[in-house]
Parts: sequence; structure tokens; C-alpha cells
Amino acid sequence: MHEASLVRSLLSQVSNLLLEHNGESVEIIRVEMGPLSGVERLLLEIAFEQQVHDTLCRGATLQVEEVPLSAVCRDCGDEFDIERFRFVCPSCNSTRVRVTGGDEFRLLDVDIQTKEEALPR
Amino acid sequence: MNTTTTIHVNRDVKAELKRQAAEMREEFARRGTLVINVLSSPGSGKTSLLEATAKHWHNRRRMAVLVGDLATDRDAQRLAPFCPVAQLTTGGACHLEIPLVQRGLETFGTDDFEFLFIENVGNLVCPASHDLAEHLRVVLLSVTEGDDKPGKYPKMFRTSNVVVISKSDLLPYVPFSVKAAVDDARLIQHDLRDFTVCSLTGDGVAGWCRFLEETREQMIADASASATPTLSAREPLAR
Ligand SMILES: Nc1nc2c(ncn2[C@@H]2O[C@H](COP(=O)(O)OP(=O)(O)OP(=O)(O)O)[C@@H](O)[C@H]2O)c(=O)[nH]1
Ligand SMILES: [Mg+2]
Ligand SMILES: [Zn+2]
Repeated sequence: MHEASLVRSLLSQVSNLLLEHNGESVEIIRVEMGPLSGVERLLLEIAFEQQVHDTLCRGATLQVEEVPLSAVCRDCGDEFDIERFRFVCPSCNSTRVRVTGGDEFRLLDVDIQTKEEALPR
Repeated sequence: MNTTTTIHVNRDVKAELKRQAAEMREEFARRGTLVINVLSSPGSGKTSLLEATAKHWHNRRRMAVLVGDLATDRDAQRLAPFCPVAQLTTGGACHLEIPLVQRGLETFGTDDFEFLFIENVGNLVCPASHDLAEHLRVVLLSVTEGDDKPGKYPKMFRTSNVVVISKSDLLPYVPFSVKAAVDDARLIQHDLRDFTVCSLTGDGVAGWCRFLEETREQMIADASASATPTLSAREPLAR
């Protein structure tokens, strides 16, 4: 749905990191997405391929890590993964659950190439 | 010679947007303005509910509406007799974003309101991913849409604070169980408040308005109780 604008934001954040670190180029961008991140993986990858060439990240590869929707029960403290969007604790059947992961699109880390200072002989 | 360095970030790509929304939310709370993001499928009765709300308050409460529309100003024209209203023509965008809201607010000048409603574009998917600095996210589900809808749009219902079952006058004519719909929604978001209304007759509107008034009073109490007010209890996009 709005993968194009998310990718625009991602590439500008990574480009800034490259500049901050005096890097030469970006090799790998690792991101994480989950079932409630509002991101469709295929559309994300297509948007990335369309946009990356026109940025400082040109040549970079996108690595997408899919994580489950995880939660903790507010009643019994059990930690579990949510299947099929049923927000129910498997231990005590409570529906008072707090989501702890899988609801965001996160930038995990970035591999950049830096020029090594010429070493003294 | 080149070397590879890994820069660890581990941050939400939308962190900056979320921070901006949270800041605006706090500022609204300090000024005593409760912001309500109203969402639903096309035609579920968002504009009708806002008309009924304005009629019920009948100028006893200062309310304003920002209304998002793809192409026309029809909703804005319907609401204009009742309260200040700003039209946000999205030019095809399927949801509202903060810059559009800010532009709409400029047309109100320095006026302060007790209640600012944002009628989003009719869509149960995309608007769920966009925090508009609201204190309350309200999703309407009209009885003609079917009581199985909450489970089909989990992000919308998960991130909402209130579900309003609308067009209750049509219940005798359609197979729709209010209890089934609300139960299905609560499996997704335990903390959802629910209201059942008919905007044509005004049935249920008084209870909805009372809830908004109480929520605003609570917001003001919370804001003055803490130097840096947080509305964590009803933070939209709640985890
Ligand atoms: N029977 C009945 N009809 C209603 C009720 N509320 C709204 N309607 C009708 O439903 C239709 C759509 O209502 P709107 O208020 O325009 O819905 P909306 O959600 O604002 O629509 P969009 O902005 O286009 O997404 C109109 O014909 C309304 O008259 C209700 O309580 N009962
Ligand atoms: Mg409308
Ligand atoms: Zn439990």
C-alpha cells in the first residue's frame, strides 16, 4: 500500500548513515518486518529495486527478515507468538495481550564499504 | 583498500514520524483539544455520525472537523452548517497523513476547539498505518457490512480504541449480530470500547457524546498531573 514511501524513507536514512560514516558505498541493508507492519514483502522488494539506483545506496542489496507477531500476556506473563491474528493467550485464554514484536518495519543494520586509511609502512 | 563495516541501527523506519505525532498529541492535550480519528469503509456513516454529534451538542461544545476526501467537498458541505470544517482533498491518496492535517489546521487560524474530529478517507486498510496525532481512534462498522469484518481487518481493529456499530435502525433487515461483531473485535483488541448508534434518529448518540466528554476530561486531568503528559493508556497504535 505505502511501500514506496517507506522505501524512500529507508533509503534516505541509510544514505545519511553512509555520509555520517564517510563510507564509499552501501553493500547490504537488513530490515525486519512482521504481520502487523503493514508491509507487503513483494511490493517492498519491487519498490526497493525501482528506487535504489537513484540514491547513494545504489548497488546495495536488501535483506528482509520476517518475524512473527509476538506478544506477552498481561494476566499470566506468558510470552507467545500470535497466529492468524487471534490475540489470545495460549496458557490462560486471556485476551489482554501486549504485542512485543512484528508490528513494525525496522532497519536492523547496514553494511558499508569504507576506504581504509593508507597504512604507514 | 576497502573494508566492510556493519552499522547497527535497530530502529523503526517510522520512528521520526511517530515521534512527531506523539509531540503533536501532547500539544493538543495541553491545549485541551481531544483529537479523534474517525475511520471506516466507504459509506459506513462517518459524516452522518459527525452531523449527529454536532446536532446533539448544539453549540454547547466547540468542535471542528477535518475531512479527507479523494475528490469532492461534499462531506465538508454537509458539515459546514454545524461547525467549522476544513476540507483535505487527498487527490487520490487512500489515507491522510500528518502534513495534510497540519495544512487543514492552518485554515482554522488560532481558534481552539474542545474536540477535533478527523474524518479519514473511507478505507479499512491504509489509514490504520498512519498516526495522525489522535487521542482516540474510532472505527465504524455499519450493520450492512457483516459482523465478520473485524477479524478480516486486524490492523485497523487492533490499533483502534473504539468501535461504533452504525446504522442500528437497519438491524431488523440484515443478518448482523452486534454481540458477534464486538466479540470478534475484542479478540483483536481487548480494550475496545463499543457503541451502537443510529445517526438518523440519534439513537445512542448521547452515550457516544458523553464518552467523548469524559475522555476529554480525563485527558486534561492526565495532562496537568504530569509535566510531560503521556496518554499511554490510550495511545493509538497500542501494542
Ligand atoms: N439507515 C441508516 N442510514 C444511515 C445511517 N447513517 C448514515 N446512513 C446513510 O449511509 C450513507 C453513507 O453515510 P455517510 O455518512 O455519507 O458515510 P461516510 O462513512 O461518511 O461515507 P464516505 O465519507 O464516503 O466514506 C448515507 O446515505 C447515509 O444517509 C444510519 O444510522 N441509518
Ligand atoms: Mg463521509
Ligand atoms: Zn495468560
